[in-house]
Amino acid sequence: MNVRVKLGVTAFAVALMSGTALAASNDDFWAKAAEPYKGVVLHGVTESTPPSNYIKDVLAPEFEKKTGIKVEIETTSWDQMYDKAIKDMEAGTGIYDVVYIEQDIIYSYLARNFLTDITKALKDKPELKASTYDDAKFTSFANYFKQGGDLYGVPMEAFLKVYCYRKDLFNDPEIQAAFKKQTGHDLKPATTHEEYTEIADFFTQWGKDHNMQLWGSTAQAHTGHAASWYEYFESVAPTFGVYNWGIDASKNYAATVEHGGGMNSDKAKAALKWWLHLRDIAPPESAQSTWSEVATTFAAGRAAQGLVYGENAAWIATDASKSKVTGQVGFALPVLSPGVLDDAKSGKGYVGYYDGGAFGLPVSSKNQEAALLFLEFIGQDEVQPGWAVAAPRITNTATFDAPEVKAMDAKLGGFYTMLKDEGKLFAGAPPYPFHAQVREATAPIFYDILTGKVGPDEGLDKMAAKAEEELTSLGYRK
Amino acid sequence: MKSNTFGWILLAPTIVVLFFFGVLPFLYVVYVSFHQWNPFAANPNMIYNAAGNFRQIVFDSAFLASLGVTVAFVFFAVLTEVVVGYVLAQAFMSDFPGKAFFRTIHTLPLIIAPIIVGSIWKLMTTPSIGIIPHLLQSSVGFDLNIGQSAAAAFIITITMDIWHWTPLVTLTLIAALVSLPPDPFEQAQIDGAGKWQIFWHITLPMIAPAVMATVFIRLMDALRIVDEVLMLTGGGPGSATRYIGVHIFREVFPRTNYGYGSAISVVVLYLTIVVCWLLYTGMLAPRKPRKG
Repeated sequence: MNVRVKLGVTAFAVALMSGTALAASNDDFWAKAAEPYKGVVLHGVTESTPPSNYIKDVLAPEFEKKTGIKVEIETTSWDQMYDKAIKDMEAGTGIYDVVYIEQDIIYSYLARNFLTDITKALKDKPELKASTYDDAKFTSFANYFKQGGDLYGVPMEAFLKVYCYRKDLFNDPEIQAAFKKQTGHDLKPATTHEEYTEIADFFTQWGKDHNMQLWGSTAQAHTGHAASWYEYFESVAPTFGVYNWGIDASKNYAATVEHGGGMNSDKAKAALKWWLHLRDIAPPESAQSTWSEVATTFAAGRAAQGLVYGENAAWIATDASKSKVTGQVGFALPVLSPGVLDDAKSGKGYVGYYDGGAFGLPVSSKNQEAALLFLEFIGQDEVQPGWAVAAPRITNTATFDAPEVKAMDAKLGGFYTMLKDEGKLFAGAPPYPFHAQVREATAPIFYDILTGKVGPDEGLDKMAAKAEEELTSLGYRK
Repeated sequence: MKSNTFGWILLAPTIVVLFFFGVLPFLYVVYVSFHQWNPFAANPNMIYNAAGNFRQIVFDSAFLASLGVTVAFVFFAVLTEVVVGYVLAQAFMSDFPGKAFFRTIHTLPLIIAPIIVGSIWKLMTTPSIGIIPHLLQSSVGFDLNIGQSAAAAFIITITMDIWHWTPLVTLTLIAALVSLPPDPFEQAQIDGAGKWQIFWHITLPMIAPAVMATVFIRLMDALRIVDEVLMLTGGGPGSATRYIGVHIFREVFPRTNYGYGSAISVVVLYLTIVVCWLLYTGMLAPRKPRKG
């Protein structure tokens, strides 16, 4: 046998053996570290989403197999998840050992000292620290869950709200020719608001003319659910240069232009009018659409383009049992006003919403150690690739290079590549501890704008004033 | 005395449970209602606010608007349920082919959880997939979109409540009708009374306590409706279906405005008691025999 071949075989055998030994040693760690907590039942509450369901169906049973610690994950609606978690932590009852922390609520939880400092807890109890877990392995999205450099939530989902478009429609020669004839431009994914509107108008008319169930854009415009408020403030207004909901924390939490805020600025009003026009030419169900219905609308082939939450991207693009547009979905950055991209690159602004969440450990949990082990388990690099394929979320840097993730990325038309390369241009919710309070105080006026009861200009003026009133009442605005 | 003690012993578990799970929480809500308390405020502690929350309620346009639509909702829903429930009860009193089947089908909505009822009606009313918009469009050319039309959303929530709760009224009134003695009706027929006279002078007075109890139950239920509406419209479009229960839910849970939300709850409880008392005195008291 050739010496090179022999060396190769030996190296392969050594690698195989060390890999097996490493896996065995990992298993040993989980079994040994969990020994005192065997038989413990952990309870978790989270929103019913594909990433959470993967934890419930795959990771929790795997963890139980390795540790003997059972994890019961309760997946429920978004509202109920908050309600249950907050009540439990507020009362200190300790029902839940693991809670889902959406990025936008972390600041409220931290302000109320609801969460255990995971970094510190693992430093204090080195016997619980798995060698395969490291805070540094997470993407920069983990920074949203840090305070003073310490981690308070293990990221478990992260995705962008992206501009999705129908490749089959955009590449159809007949449609391309009709679009060119009507507008004088080539049909391609939009980069500006004007281009987007032009395409949306064209496709809505095209649907009418051809008796098709097709409209030019999605719109997450529910007239009684916070989803519409979010679409405007987190996904639309920033593309016009209105960041952080138009509230300026450095100016005594000003929201009105009069006091230095931007909630009722000209840019904000232009953004709202642009979006309201899209709502008017979107499918009729838009007035009842939250994020879930928008995804369903797009998957049903009823919209040519739209802003869709990334958590739905994978199934829309690949799952033929649920989607009529598999293989036909293109992804692009949201359309932007001049200067917004520069703002995003310099860190002054952002181009859209970086959505996601983490699993945290309530201070009130009575099973701190066992819950810490579970959080480490779901934060390891090795459990990530399968999870990323099942639900389009990536929280660990190494996951981008996993072969199965690369294959999925190709199938999705570069969704993960966009997350990796352009993720830094997006941002989560602003670091306000009064997130839900300001939203709920201003949302009724926003719904009135959607129904036409109040005009957009007058409505935003009222909302800005209401936001300041609420912030004053809460004691943040002096 | 001995039997009295034994009675109290038997009642004790119920009284203890009621005290801890009914009276104590109520007293706590009253206590909280005199405080400003939002755990996500700069000061997350309870701050004594005297009657500040109650003073705010009087001038709160959102609360008053919510109260207005709630009163309208309760009036139309409960009135229709009682009328339709009585008609159905009378229908089920007589024999017809398939009576048992129809009575079972008619009762089914009662066993469905409110949140599921809301989901069912959401599916049925969503444009593009819902059966109701489809039928209205194909039959009379009407575009139903409860996400856009306040009137449509209001009517649909009432219709949903009628669909869900009329069977309860029917069952209660069937029980009342079955228990009526035949003699007064036979006597009235012999005396030549018409159907309307029999209904007005005999049936209605005799089943009035049952009707009253049913109205009270439905009134209190309708006043606190939350789940179905939250699922169907979320309180929208705008605030068209933001009934008082939904309004309180929004104040207390997402907005975590515990103090003010508690004050609204106390006021709504008070209003419910007043409305029930007015109904009671208005409908039953005049029928009591006068002295002298």
